[in-house]
Amino acid sequence: MAYSEKVIDHYNNPRNVGSFPKEIPGVGTGLVGAPECGDVMKLQIKVNLDTGVIEDAKFKTFGCGSAIASSSLATEWLKGKSVDEAMKIKNTDIVNELKLPPVKIHCSVLAEDAIKAALADYRGKWGKKEVAAGAATS
Amino acid sequence: MTGSSRTLCWNCQSAVGGEYFCPQCVKVQPASVWSDYFSVFGLPRKLGLDLGELQQRFYEWSRKFHPDFFQRATPEEQAISLENSALVNTAYRALRDPIARVEYLIGLEEGAVKGIPPRAPRDLLEEMLEMQEALEEAKTSALDAETRKRLEGERERLAERRKAEEARLMEVAGEWDALVGASDHASRERDAVRRKLLDGMKEILAVRAYLTTVINDLSEALGEETHTHVSHRRH
Repeated sequence: MAYSEKVIDHYNNPRNVGSFPKEIPGVGTGLVGAPECGDVMKLQIKVNLDTGVIEDAKFKTFGCGSAIASSSLATEWLKGKSVDEAMKIKNTDIVNELKLPPVKIHCSVLAEDAIKAALADYRGKWGKKEVAAGAATS
Repeated sequence: MTGSSRTLCWNCQSAVGGEYFCPQCVKVQPASVWSDYFSVFGLPRKLGLDLGELQQRFYEWSRKFHPDFFQRATPEEQAISLENSALVNTAYRALRDPIARVEYLIGLEEGAVKGIPPRAPRDLLEEMLEMQEALEEAKTSALDAETRKRLEGERERLAERRKAEEARLMEVAGEWDALVGASDHASRERDAVRRKLLDGMKEILAVRAYLTTVINDLSEALGEETHTHVSHRRH
């Protein structure tokens, strides 16, 4: 199958590979998988608890080139966004950016799931602190 | 063979009632008389089936539809026999393997309205991630005897676990057969059990898919050939 140049670029030079220790304040972890192809994707965000902005994001994906590219792109997009803005990232955005063929759309769905899972994990763990910090500054 | 009783022969327009050859003009009938792979072989839609019986019927229909026997027939009949032969083969392959049979049945039962895709248990995902990380590490360095032994041990452990999952799948398949065999009248309670069994089978299949991936990756790291059904991976 022919991959788009952007997929190949992300595959050969994946951005933000790695992980944060889960207990660091502001870190949210999403771990998702696609049973039909056995892919595993871990995506983490690190939110500044004072500003509510995602300062850093990392991923680790074991899967096909499209899955790696989708999560690599996702971490690039997440950086600098607020948690609410990050919620708006859709798999179709990833499909368009990477020009994924129809058979690889599930990889972008997986990346969206991973973003949502990381954000939910963050909110569950640190959401209240963020609100408290926001209330204190306003 | 419900619903097919009013089917008419494409040639003489008489009722064929789900027969594969028209009772009137003896022309071969197209595959549309079958509603699913089970009905191709006249078998009930159940997960436990007699492999001997399946094979026997497969041979029987393969012979009857063999395109060689239709060389002097009309182009319509030739086309139908070819199509039927192909379908009989596909159906046999899908039903022969007990795991593929469950996968096929789930697709059949859920139809166009797909249920929620199964979520693999989180602890399994973590374990798979850890295993892949260890594997990645092992790949970057030369495979020393100790690492090799450890990887082989892991693979053996995972293969055992896959076997256990498959046994569990067959147990649920038995429960499914008991349910569909018990009664035909629908009730809310029965629907709930049906849904639960389908979801249960889907989850086991998901877990099994993960185990298979890692087992194959381990074999690959150990420099062995893999026999994988998951052909669309890592392309």
